[in-house]
Amino acid sequence: MNIQAIEERSELLCRMRSWFADNDYLEVSTPILSTHLIPEPTIANFATQYISEFHGSRELYLVPSPEVHMKRIIAETKRSIYQFSHCFRNREQIGSHHNPEFTMLEYYTVGADDEDSIAITEELVARTALAGTPESILPPFRRMTVAEACKRYAQFDLDTTQSVAALRKEATRLGLSVPAQPESWEETFNRIFLNFVEPNLPQDRPLVLCEYPKQIVCLAKEIPGRPYRRRWELYAGGIELANCYDEEREKTKVEAYYREQYAILASQRSVSGEVIPDIDTRFPEIFDASFPQCSGVAMGIDRLLMLQGRHKTIGDLILFNVSDMMADG
Amino acid sequence: MIKAGQIDKGTALLIKGQPFICVEREFVNPGKGSAFVRLKLKSPATGQTLRETMKSQDNAEDITVEDRDCQYLYNDGENFHFMMTETYEQIEIPMTSFEDYQFIMKEGETYRVTFWEHLPLDIQVPAKVIFEVAEAEEAVKGDTVTGATKNVTTETGLVVRVPIFIKQGERILVNTETKEYLERVNK
Repeated sequence: MNIQAIEERSELLCRMRSWFADNDYLEVSTPILSTHLIPEPTIANFATQYISEFHGSRELYLVPSPEVHMKRIIAETKRSIYQFSHCFRNREQIGSHHNPEFTMLEYYTVGADDEDSIAITEELVARTALAGTPESILPPFRRMTVAEACKRYAQFDLDTTQSVAALRKEATRLGLSVPAQPESWEETFNRIFLNFVEPNLPQDRPLVLCEYPKQIVCLAKEIPGRPYRRRWELYAGGIELANCYDEEREKTKVEAYYREQYAILASQRSVSGEVIPDIDTRFPEIFDASFPQCSGVAMGIDRLLMLQGRHKTIGDLILFNVSDMMADG
Repeated sequence: MIKAGQIDKGTALLIKGQPFICVEREFVNPGKGSAFVRLKLKSPATGQTLRETMKSQDNAEDITVEDRDCQYLYNDGENFHFMMTETYEQIEIPMTSFEDYQFIMKEGETYRVTFWEHLPLDIQVPAKVIFEVAEAEEAVKGDTVTGATKNVTTETGLVVRVPIFIKQGERILVNTETKEYLERVNK
């Protein structure tokens, strides 16, 4: 057991709580065991059985993120909120940056957009960083759009490669073997991104990679007239550390997301036999005219601790992690 | 054929007709996206390194390999020389593919070597090995800070960071992958 890592976690969380309190955020606590989940086809879920003599048994799920519950709180309170939440992602392979259970810091700032969230996150990280944090993990953050990164590291124009065929041509040009069976634009994009773009991103400073392709569907607002969304990912030390949206608050768009993503999830998982979670179909109703403009950031706290404390793997930070427990039988 | 997601360290693959061994693998889900696996592959014949990121569901061509016991004799700076214990046949394996093994393997000991037909592809060293401390700095007197460490050199030439109480001639257990000290062996 890494005692130093336990102390570092305690210290960082204490500093962050104090920063959020000073900046008028409310700390909230939402369930990790839930009756409904957000439909996210690429995130496999954990299910368990609740047993009740009175109400009949039903399936409950471990949350992959606290997003839907936190947005319900925003709808009621109209306030900026944050939470340190345990999150669960099944099929997540155990590795130096992954564990099926991990700690996420999620914070929503009312009145802010994705651009404001960059400054907020810089301030949060700068004010709370542990002593000895490497320079490369500290603000100021560099900024680059996904399109700029594609041009620089994979020599293609993302604006003009929005069709599956055009992007596939670029992948082939780069020497990637794209399988014969059809795959989505997003999957081909990820092949190019992971082989040519991500490994070459600068690491001397954290990097905000912004304006993600619209074809990667999520609850971030679309940028009018351009094929991108108001979403960024923060890279530090070469790994994804945080994800930010300018949160979609148009009811019809959230409804469409729920309908379409659930259909994809259900059709894929009825073949693979994986858990198909219940969906709260009434969730989009919270997005009436009174739902405030807000931007949310989800940050991997175990990864942040790993980078700040110069640990080699996330295994030092997650006590009793699944990998160690499996190795011990 | 094998799914990319099932490729592990030590899996042998055929890529454009050349055998490669997976030496590192890390899973990535780009931006909450679907599962990919990032591989570092090494050609034992040339020492060439290949980095490839594939979807977990992609197919890769794996090859059937066989493990044989081989006694490690010595290295000549370029090749490791082994003798196959069953046939007494001597084989050479280029050191470039297994750079740090010269500091881990002990002359005269037997290791499992992975062969693809007659070609040696991989040398399997145990995850934890007991070494003898051949050289150790004397601990500075009065240095009683908890967690203080120093460097020692094993009989194989491996430099390991250990707690200051470890002395020359003692035996230590070391993680061969991370080269990290695990514990003192009192036997």
